[in-house]
Amino acid sequence: MPNLQLKDIFKEFPGVIANDNVSLTVEKGEIHALLGENGAGKTTLMNILYGIYTKDVGTIIWKDEEVSFKSPRDAIESGIGMVHQHFMLVPTLSVAQNITLGIKDKGYPFNNRKKVVKDITELSKKYGLQVDPTQLISKLSVGARQRVEILKSLYRNAELLILDEPTAVLTPQETDNFFEILKKLKKEGHSVIIITHRIPEVIKITDKVTILKDGKNVATVKTSETNENELSNYMIGRSLKTFSSREEVIESEDNGLVLEHVGLNKKLKTLTDISFQVKKGEIFGIAGVDGNGQKELAEVIAGIRKPDSGTILIAGKNMNRASFKTRKKAGLAYITDDRHHEGLVLDMNVTENMILKDYDQEPFSKKSIINYNVVREKTEQRIKDYDIKTPGVKTPIRLLSGGNQQKVIIARELAVGPSVVLACQPTRGLDIGATEFVRQILINKRNEGLSILLISADLEEIVSICDRIAVIFEGRIVGIVKNGADLDLNKIGLMMAGHIGETVNS
Amino acid sequence: MKYTKELVSTLIIILITFLLAAVLIIVAKYDPGMALQSFFYGIFGSLHGFAEIMVRATPLILAGLGVSVAFSTGFFNIGAEGQLYMGAIAITFVGVFLPPMPPMLHIAVAILAGFLLGGIWAVIPGFLKAKYGVSEIITTIMFNYIAINIVGVLVRTVLKNTESALPYSPVMPKSLSFPLLLYPTRLHGGLILALACAVLIYIIMKKTTIGYELRVVGFNKRAGTCSGISVYKNIVLASLISGGLAGLAGVSEIAGVHHRLLEGISPGYGYIAIIVALMGRNHPVGVIISAIGLSALQVGANSMQRQAGIPTSITSVLMGVIVLLALGKNIMFSGILKKMRIK
Repeated sequence: MPNLQLKDIFKEFPGVIANDNVSLTVEKGEIHALLGENGAGKTTLMNILYGIYTKDVGTIIWKDEEVSFKSPRDAIESGIGMVHQHFMLVPTLSVAQNITLGIKDKGYPFNNRKKVVKDITELSKKYGLQVDPTQLISKLSVGARQRVEILKSLYRNAELLILDEPTAVLTPQETDNFFEILKKLKKEGHSVIIITHRIPEVIKITDKVTILKDGKNVATVKTSETNENELSNYMIGRSLKTFSSREEVIESEDNGLVLEHVGLNKKLKTLTDISFQVKKGEIFGIAGVDGNGQKELAEVIAGIRKPDSGTILIAGKNMNRASFKTRKKAGLAYITDDRHHEGLVLDMNVTENMILKDYDQEPFSKKSIINYNVVREKTEQRIKDYDIKTPGVKTPIRLLSGGNQQKVIIARELAVGPSVVLACQPTRGLDIGATEFVRQILINKRNEGLSILLISADLEEIVSICDRIAVIFEGRIVGIVKNGADLDLNKIGLMMAGHIGETVNS
Repeated sequence: MKYTKELVSTLIIILITFLLAAVLIIVAKYDPGMALQSFFYGIFGSLHGFAEIMVRATPLILAGLGVSVAFSTGFFNIGAEGQLYMGAIAITFVGVFLPPMPPMLHIAVAILAGFLLGGIWAVIPGFLKAKYGVSEIITTIMFNYIAINIVGVLVRTVLKNTESALPYSPVMPKSLSFPLLLYPTRLHGGLILALACAVLIYIIMKKTTIGYELRVVGFNKRAGTCSGISVYKNIVLASLISGGLAGLAGVSEIAGVHHRLLEGISPGYGYIAIIVALMGRNHPVGVIISAIGLSALQVGANSMQRQAGIPTSITSVLMGVIVLLALGKNIMFSGILKKMRIK
């Protein structure tokens, strides 16, 4: 008898059918992957189950009873827990306080803290979820925060755990550790649903896979009876693209971008003593767990923040005091990680966004008057060149899909002939097709001889297209390694967790 | 499609406003038929009515343009009233203290002075917001009180007409008057100034890099910063233009209507200008239309008071309702629009 059954769930948002008669069955003690691209309707389906959204049509059967949760509280009380992609923890409270947040136990509001801590310690031992219940959340690593989230659900007696993109922010070691936890949960009879788009993980850890595409069921298969290729075909209709490392190496001793001993905010040590060179015709990757200074590094290079110490050279020129516009003139292109807040003006149309960085340059404007005829022509050209799907040049940019929005940014940044490209999380939130497009463009630009700095928390991305890889941890570069067939992922994982590695500069 | 939606929701607003007016009039035991008749007679019944609408619309267009520029840049200038008074002070100083000049030069100097003083009155809150993040909503409102009371002080001291006991300034010289456009009505050259400003603002906002920067900052400050656009510079610039235009409204009221400085020259034009900008969707054409519409409402209401004895305070109630409807129309009317299959 299945533990959970979702039957023909239908959910429509204004203009979009998010779930079109989707069904899902999960057994007791089963790890079930919900596989699909961004926008395939995975998270919507789980949010319906968890009581965040209400379904339009369909039935949910949980432990032989038809249910319809009105809020997450209902779901939690019935033994369903969800760990969101962005953790819902209060950083200024302790682990134990976070875990018991909102629970009114016996003695409330004067809870027996000692007993709570003891209970949590027991629970964490039982499942191998190592955390110190008295520690503050703000002091914990991302992996530990995830363990707290899982404990939070288990403490509320969750029998079914829903995990949304659980490995997105973990180092390779943390991922392995996380898989061990999943196995323990399974042994104890818990069911787990993992929302993911990463096929290798699905193969490694799950029992069964349900694939969604465009809000519809594509297939449900046993993991033991399938392979990566088949899953990829189900998910995107073809095999995943693999990027061969470059064939013709343009040897160049010139550096497009040089950082020497760059530091930011000495007290907080946001960035400390960062030094590296990005050669012409090279993709230099910065790997690391999110929030270790990547964003600040990008902003220091772009000129949005000013470093406290050190030197930044773009195309051989000292840019320490230069504004963003000066750096852009020197040849810098900046692809930000935050499309909606930094890269685009969502209330403006495609044309207006296309000139966001060059509106004051010829031929777009002369003597402060913008020539919209030229702007429109150029925009139309770029829409064609970069295969941007938009109803028209005057369409508000917010109506475009994430992938097409990102293409607008990339077209804008790259069409003006930069010599240095600073790409910060350029594929975050994109579907697989758009991700491959962006990576291919970066490779093309490298082959044309540009210096490319790729900052990404997605280690797979770094490994698949970078020539050299630096790892950043707590604002320091802990090591630089050459990418190649002999790359030791284990070592990179250790560096991402703060272990000092070696540095190669060749 | 977009315009049908706008049109239908505007019609719904007008309909609701009229229904509410009818309810208020009936509850207050007046004759609604008579009210309606005198309302429309006031607006369409005579040349005088038309001229009066335009006279009232002139400061509303100028100040409304000012507010709309500020709103487009994300600077919520609630201080058009005070900036208007500062403009009025400026032209009075030019008239009282500067030596006689040829007419064209004289009025040009007055316009410049009015723009600058009104602008300065808005730039101070603009600077405080851009530099220290001080809420411009609070500071511009407070600056209204200061400006209004400065006028009170000035007309009793420095600018007082010594030949009279009343707190008025001396009458401005002839060279500081706008020409009348439609004798014998009060319609004056300020209207042309207002329309010229509307054209100018349209060009600046839509066709130049200056306007582009202002709009980017208004929509998304962070994206501006990340594109090398200075948020600081643009907020200060927007507040200068905004206050300057409101200052011109004050210049126009002195040069076209009152010809001397006295207290209470503005019946809240600076506040109504906020409604004008909101309803005009921060677009110069929209500002002109809503300024004329709102002043027609007032002129009609005055006529209603004269002929049917219905108090004009009803219009103040209606104007408040209009603001609520205009701000909430997208949410409130979406159901109706959906049923009518208008997207």
